[in-house]
Amino acid sequence: MTLAFSLSGISKRYPQFALQDISLSLPEGQVMGLVGVNGAGKTTLLRLLTGLAAPDAGEVRVLGHRLPEGQVAAKREIGFASEDMRLYRTQSLRWHMDLVCRAFPGWDDDYAATLMQRFDLRADQPLEGFSHGQRVKALLLLCLARRPRLLLLDEPTTGLDPVARIEVLEALADVLRDERRSVLFSSHNTHDVEQLADTITFVHQGRLVASDDRHAFVDRWRRLICQGAPPEGLSGWPEIASVRTSGSLVELKVRQWRDDLPERLAASGLQVQREDAMALEDIFITAVRSGAVA
Amino acid sequence: MNLNLPVVRLLVLKDWQLFQKQLALYVLAGFVALCFIGLGKPWAFYVGSLMLIIVLVASACFSISTSLLVERKDKTLAFAMSLPVSPLDFTAAKLAGNVLTFAVPFLVILAGTLGVVLATPLPDGLVVYSLLVFAWIGFAFAVSLAVAMSVESEGWATFAMIGSMVLINPYLMALGQVPAIQTRIAQDAIVWTPEAVGLLAVLGGLGVVVLAATAWHHARKPAFY
Repeated sequence: MTLAFSLSGISKRYPQFALQDISLSLPEGQVMGLVGVNGAGKTTLLRLLTGLAAPDAGEVRVLGHRLPEGQVAAKREIGFASEDMRLYRTQSLRWHMDLVCRAFPGWDDDYAATLMQRFDLRADQPLEGFSHGQRVKALLLLCLARRPRLLLLDEPTTGLDPVARIEVLEALADVLRDERRSVLFSSHNTHDVEQLADTITFVHQGRLVASDDRHAFVDRWRRLICQGAPPEGLSGWPEIASVRTSGSLVELKVRQWRDDLPERLAASGLQVQREDAMALEDIFITAVRSGAVA
Repeated sequence: MNLNLPVVRLLVLKDWQLFQKQLALYVLAGFVALCFIGLGKPWAFYVGSLMLIIVLVASACFSISTSLLVERKDKTLAFAMSLPVSPLDFTAAKLAGNVLTFAVPFLVILAGTLGVVLATPLPDGLVVYSLLVFAWIGFAFAVSLAVAMSVESEGWATFAMIGSMVLINPYLMALGQVPAIQTRIAQDAIVWTPEAVGLLAVLGGLGVVVLAATAWHHARKPAFY
């Protein structure tokens, strides 16, 4: 299995924030969604993967290059766009395309023209006349038309109106049809991540909370509504992520579902009334609150 | 670590394309100032000299603030860093780009100034004095550029820019206190006194050392953050 990237034992410390002991990898051709609240460490992780930041400890490898030493070679095969990245306001999209085209050997003119049409962008208009949505699409065009092997997107849909958001997500979905292209995109919007990602990684306060296949997440996590009195030490059970009591009803959120769990709960005095799958957002919030580390 | 020259050239060209219109305006303003100086009347000489210094200071500050400070503030820096460049390439491009965007109007206006002094009835002794004034602006530019590249704080970078440029005032007063320089200004001959040559060499040398130290410091950084 070829890896698009691997992070081994990574730590990075800033005065106000520290990324701690991160080990994570992405097989080539896969899409990983990185979910976390603002300030969780998503941007720092992406900076490490582009070679913009050097880790204090651990090793970063991207497309076979060790970073940050091999960042120039790696960046030639990476498309990186972040929510806080802006284009030059006074210049046109065509000017930016000329610049990027000269820096990236894989630039595809035909694909750029297709994307321009699809995103309804005008090449000769200065960027200062573009809306926020158009600027994000222009940035994506500049990333995608260089035909990168690895696409790193930091909050690509933040601040977009619903129509622009759907257009961007559809364009990304098209890109993902290429089986050799790997994508890591960060978001605090779990709905976007659910639509696109094969693998989902939760980060919180500089730590990896959980990382797994999207379906495995949904299969593992359950919300149970039970009747009865919760037994002593229930919240300490390893598979239980949260316990909330409301009258005689007890809501349990389970991080590791097993078929024998209702029986064990019944033996402890709790009858399971309902069992529901959990939405990714709920899984994320519960995982973060319970402090579970992957 | 090797310098990726094609990408460095690309980044320098980018900065040049971004600022060329404004730089042309500074050159135009410099020529207007020189027209005043060339009129040969005391009031016009005063207005023209003042305007010339303002134009030179403004063009030096424009280059640094637009290429470094505004790029950080407008978040276009992240875009430039996403191109296949190392910190060394980026530093080299920023140094070369800034020196180019400063040097082109600076040298054009300097040539214009020397031309006006030599071609009009103004005393030729002004040639050495003008070079000393231009040398200070060049030195102040080097210090300001070094500070702007080395600190994240916009406040400190602005302070260095304004501080070094404003110091031209005491510098001019100090030049007036050096008889070997002051007494030659009104002479109709170019006289290279040891004091003037020494000062030119010191300012030029210090400027080069400051920029070289900045380049060396940044070249050792393995990553941008």
